[in-house]
Amino acid sequence: MAPGQKLYPRATVKKIVKAHSGCNVSKNVDVMIFLDYVLFMQTLMKEATIEAKQGGERGVTARSVRKVTGDTLAKFKG
Amino acid sequence: MARESHPPGRNPAPDPDTPVRRAISAEPGSVAASSRLSFSIRTPASQGRNLTLNRSVQGLSASGRKAGAGAASATPHARAAFRTIDSRRAAISTPHLANRRRSVREARETPRDVLRNLGKALAKTSEAIKSSSSSPKSPKPADDTILEERPSQFLDDDDDEDLPKRPRLSLPIDVDEDDDDELRPHRSAGLEDEDLTMRSVEMPRRAYSEQPARLSTGSVRISDYYGRGGEAPDDEDGIDPGFFPPRAPIPEEDFGFDDDGPSYDRSGFDMARRDTLGRASDFGLEVPLDMANESTVMLAPQLEDSPMRPPPEDFAPMFDQRSDDDDDDGDNNADMEGFPDPVSEPEEDNEVETVAEARTPVTATVTAKSAITKRGSSTKETIKRTKRISRHSIEYPSLPAGVVKRLAQTFAKTSGAKGKINPETLKAIIQASDWFFEQIGEDLEAYAKHAHRKTIDESDMLTLMKRQRQTSSHMTPFALAQRHLPRELLQELRMTPPVAPKKRRRASVGEDPEVT
Repeated sequence: MAPGQKLYPRATVKKIVKAHSGCNVSKNVDVMIFLDYVLFMQTLMKEATIEAKQGGERGVTARSVRKVTGDTLAKFKG
Repeated sequence: MARESHPPGRNPAPDPDTPVRRAISAEPGSVAASSRLSFSIRTPASQGRNLTLNRSVQGLSASGRKAGAGAASATPHARAAFRTIDSRRAAISTPHLANRRRSVREARETPRDVLRNLGKALAKTSEAIKSSSSSPKSPKPADDTILEERPSQFLDDDDDEDLPKRPRLSLPIDVDEDDDDELRPHRSAGLEDEDLTMRSVEMPRRAYSEQPARLSTGSVRISDYYGRGGEAPDDEDGIDPGFFPPRAPIPEEDFGFDDDGPSYDRSGFDMARRDTLGRASDFGLEVPLDMANESTVMLAPQLEDSPMRPPPEDFAPMFDQRSDDDDDDGDNNADMEGFPDPVSEPEEDNEVETVAEARTPVTATVTAKSAITKRGSSTKETIKRTKRISRHSIEYPSLPAGVVKRLAQTFAKTSGAKGKINPETLKAIIQASDWFFEQIGEDLEAYAKHAHRKTIDESDMLTLMKRQRQTSSHMTPFALAQRHLPRELLQELRMTPPVAPKKRRRASVGEDPEVT
């Protein structure tokens, strides 16, 4: 995370989770959720990069991302 | 002293001096010496056991040496024993480096020497083999002794070894041919009789579902997906679970954006989920299907967007979210305020609309993949809808594209990808993160409900992360946070003092086996 930049929209994260769960979200959970999201993104991009390299693509493409999305989501299923 | 390190076969001359000295210094070798004596019984010098006993009392090394050396017919074992004892003695008594090394080398090289000698022996009889280049180099006198010692068994062994090799070379070829001949009729027979089961629809699907099972619980999760895929449309807004047929009329309805709000998510969601499952195609067509899926998603924007600036379509929801901020915050005002979205929305919104309008002809033109393209077009058009509705009928925004992009770019760089993330990729990533939040929300809800709570607690999140295998005994959530979160957020976590100790306890205890 680049320093000095805006962090992340906590309100948005909270709202998203709240909408999906139908529950209230207690105070600092959204930080944890965002942490989890960061981890998810890390995994996703790593997998996508590997996939792209295996497919001989240059850089990460939408195709590679889509291809690994399912697996990565499954990995982050609680 | 150097004398003593020589092999006894070479040095038959007895030393008058050594017994005196040895008797003092040769304690380590005493055991071996006694054994040596037992060997030397045969030798002419020691014809009685009484004699050997006397010798052992007198001077170990000298007597042993004499006996061993005098006996040219000593057994190879005895000679080896002599050699080791000599080398040991040399190492003890003489600090000479060269001597020590040499003795060690002798001991070490004996197997190789055997080979060398064997090469020599062969070279006399048959000169054809010059491949063993080491054979001419035999700098040591010990080689000769060994050559003498080693009987001709080795020659025989080599001959034996050579013989089986040739048949091996020839055999595999024959075997393969034989196998092919045998197999062909079998296969055809199998095809005629029962191969229908072999190629039935079930096999490849299972194989595929097991394939991503590097997750230990892969199968369970996939079954979850199945459940989900069925549930989701029902829960949402009454879209039929068999959504392919009803999806067709949607493009016409799309322009009134009130009804179909979540259809974008749903359709895309289900499609992708299906891809992740055993795909509908069971004959290993995974890649083509995937491609088709992509092309449909990508086709429209490529065709239509090229004249304009290619806009990331998912900016639209972000725009909405901004408008939301005031409405929904009710509970958490203290935390949430003051995060306006930095992106300029109005232009993009317009563009999205134009794109969506321009997309309808595409659906008309493409006939072959009509269903898919229609779905794609519908997704594109629903994008302009400001809000998605979760299954609890709560509107929700998606994460601002700027944040997602920044994160994605950071991680792409760290994982070694070059170049920037283009809008298409960003769209896919945003979609993935939407799904991620949905999944997380449902999981957290399950945990909270299981604990009869109505608020999602930190314990839920810790449980979730534990179940995701993100945290474990050696990776505390706080360490993860320290690694991945900026300092401000870390402080937020740290602010509540009991949290850190609680974390671990709860994470260890609070796992619900029932909730999945």
